[in-house]
Amino acid sequence: MKHKIISISFVGILIAMFLLNIILPSKDISKSERRKLTQFSTLSWQSFKDGDFIRKYEKYVLDQIVFRDTFRTIKTSAGFYLFGLYDQHDIYLKDGHVFKMEYPYRKSSVENMAKKLNSIYKLYLHDMDVYYAVIPDKNYFVRQDNKYLFIDYDDMIKTLNDNVKDMTYISLFQTLSLDDYYRTDLHWKQENITKVADKLGSVMKPNYNFIYMDYEKTEYYPFYGSYYGQAALPIIPDTLSYLLNETLDNASVFYYTDIESSPIETKINDEKNLLGVDSYDVFLSGAKPIVEIHNPNTQAKGELIIFRDSFGSSLAPLLLCGYSKITLIDLRYISANLIGDFITFDNQDVLFLYNTSIINNSTMLK
Amino acid sequence: MVFSSITFLFSFLPLVIILYFVVPNKGKNVVLLLSSLLFYFCGEPKFGFLFISSIFINYMFGLLIDRCNQLIFRKIAIGIAIAVNIILIGLFKYADFTIKNINSIFSLELPFLKLALPIGISFYTFQAISYLVDVYRGEVKAQKNIINLSLYISLFPQLIAGPIVRYKTVNKELSERKHSFADFSYGVRRFIFGLSKKLLIADQIANLWTLSTQTNQPSVLYYWLGAIAFSLHIYFDFSAYSDMAIGMGRMFGFHFLENFDHPFCSKSITEFWRRWHISLGSWFRDYLYIPLGGNRKGKLRWIFNLFVVWGLTGFWHGADWNFILWGLLFGIVLMLEKLFLLKTLKKIPSFFSHIYTIFIVVFSFVLFNNSIADAVTFIKSMIGIMNVPFISTESLYYLNSYLGLLIISIVFSTNIPNIIFQKITNKPIWNKIAIYAEPLLLIILFLLSIGYLVDSSFQPFLYFRF
Repeated sequence: MKHKIISISFVGILIAMFLLNIILPSKDISKSERRKLTQFSTLSWQSFKDGDFIRKYEKYVLDQIVFRDTFRTIKTSAGFYLFGLYDQHDIYLKDGHVFKMEYPYRKSSVENMAKKLNSIYKLYLHDMDVYYAVIPDKNYFVRQDNKYLFIDYDDMIKTLNDNVKDMTYISLFQTLSLDDYYRTDLHWKQENITKVADKLGSVMKPNYNFIYMDYEKTEYYPFYGSYYGQAALPIIPDTLSYLLNETLDNASVFYYTDIESSPIETKINDEKNLLGVDSYDVFLSGAKPIVEIHNPNTQAKGELIIFRDSFGSSLAPLLLCGYSKITLIDLRYISANLIGDFITFDNQDVLFLYNTSIINNSTMLK
Repeated sequence: MVFSSITFLFSFLPLVIILYFVVPNKGKNVVLLLSSLLFYFCGEPKFGFLFISSIFINYMFGLLIDRCNQLIFRKIAIGIAIAVNIILIGLFKYADFTIKNINSIFSLELPFLKLALPIGISFYTFQAISYLVDVYRGEVKAQKNIINLSLYISLFPQLIAGPIVRYKTVNKELSERKHSFADFSYGVRRFIFGLSKKLLIADQIANLWTLSTQTNQPSVLYYWLGAIAFSLHIYFDFSAYSDMAIGMGRMFGFHFLENFDHPFCSKSITEFWRRWHISLGSWFRDYLYIPLGGNRKGKLRWIFNLFVVWGLTGFWHGADWNFILWGLLFGIVLMLEKLFLLKTLKKIPSFFSHIYTIFIVVFSFVLFNNSIADAVTFIKSMIGIMNVPFISTESLYYLNSYLGLLIISIVFSTNIPNIIFQKITNKPIWNKIAIYAEPLLLIILFLLSIGYLVDSSFQPFLYFRF
């Protein structure tokens, strides 16, 4: 009896999985993993002969296997709770948050970041008011727990302060706390960072008060942050909130893809992106090389240029009330040498705003 | 195609099982042969013709040796047959190594052949040679049915990473074998155990080895962790493959011999090699060591034989000096054990003889896995004579993180789980619950393995390229 049960169950699982994999349609993307899934590759004698077809087919079936997310959950649960691993793919859980270990600390990358900032200053920003601020990644807030591996945040800031010239440093480390970040994502919550806008504004525009701006909050649930899929554990998703007020409602937003094409108009909160791969792209339509936000309010004076990463998308709208125009530049998608083709540098305020993960991996900046 | 792949598990295997059990007995070998050839072609399409040629040549040589009545002709036939097989493996596996050394010694610039190594060539060539020698010795009759002989050489469960199955082991089963639920379920059990050993332990512990080699914070502790992780990885990886091969063989009615017997429990290197890669050790014993004279021709000749066998055992694992040295190292230790060490090892407490064995095995795998120069640096770092700290934050973190996995790996590399399982199953109450509990546990283990497979990137078996 036992032998029959074992034999039939095993063959049954093999056949059921085989049939389900054939019958069920292929998916284009995995929302939880935030990536495109491999599609079936056409078979040819050449592709079979050089082994290419089998390699691609294995990738395809690995991506398209039925219950893929469930299997990943089973694996991750076993890793944490059966084998007692502290992290898996650098992901760990603590205090209800999902973290991704930022390790090892790359001092050379921090020095490279400083060089990058200095070179941009020399190229475009002479005699302008230039500031830089560093956004701590989530790990910073649990670094007292020696269980995990952390980068040397103090040395990172010291190295930047020692090497970055002609710019004013604005510290955000004490302004933020873990609660200001999503549990399942690396980013900060827009509704919690008006204090960051105020901190930056207090240095860049001392006479303007950013914190007392009124905003109307819209909530979106469920928001599966980028760590949600990587953790592959049954975690309650976040609620994503985005803010709007009259100034933001009247603002016009454009982004550039290349120098030949006309700028494309978008919105401060691009709600169609809520249902896309990354709901965080609701803010200024996500990652773009150059974004311009125009404030129609004639009382706002001066312009701001922000060299930024994805954190800047949710922060920039909160600074708009103080400026007539904000330009955001993402050096991950455009070379520093090319930005002069898009932007005329003319006594604007300039802010370099990067999170510690980017600074620790600064080679990604062009 | 590897066993621990979705393509194999959920496309190839179910189709083969269905076809195999649907066709009448007469057609079962054809199904298995075609499946095995497809399996090989999927993994190494460009060497498919070479593989089929090798099978055909060995089939013809087998018949030729069998038909030669005079000893001299039999000797010539077996000599040519072995030479052809050795040339084949030599060309693909050892040609560039030979050219490299000739260039180095004579300051020449002979061009390299740069031939890719056909998957499983070391295994199927050794199987073919064992068949031919057994025919020559008259221990078995030559197989006249080309399908059966082709199936013996190409049977997919053991085709690319062993065990090296002797022809006489499966001779009868090639033409007639029984199938039963008991055999099939035993095969399923071994297959699932093997799959989970590979995916849950071998591949995970390999991460620790990788981390230790990529660190910016080397420490003595990290070198030890890396060396232990690699030793455990290679054991679980290779023995897992053997488990799966034995399991699948049993599903189709073949009874392959065991290839591993808890080698890390050994109290001497002599014992270790009786428990590690048994099919390779016994192959070298039966087809090289004993024909060379073994220990019957005096001490000097015995030492010579020992070094020839162990040098070649190392060389079989890879075409580089570190592999040869790795084999010779075992030759030296085995010689010393035979001469006097074994007696001492038997007298001292088991704990110390275990430690002695594990130390040698772990150090040997450092040499196995590195160039000679790197291995020397690695071992120096392990014993603390390089300028590295004893401990680092990173090594401590990964020791703590992987502690559970290390303990589980070490426990499952011993016979302890088996003993516990036997004790439990000996209790009458077990028989009542085992009917459902065992299948349930196996299903859980299987699904867990698939979870690891889905989450992992593709990790080929280590022994593929040997």
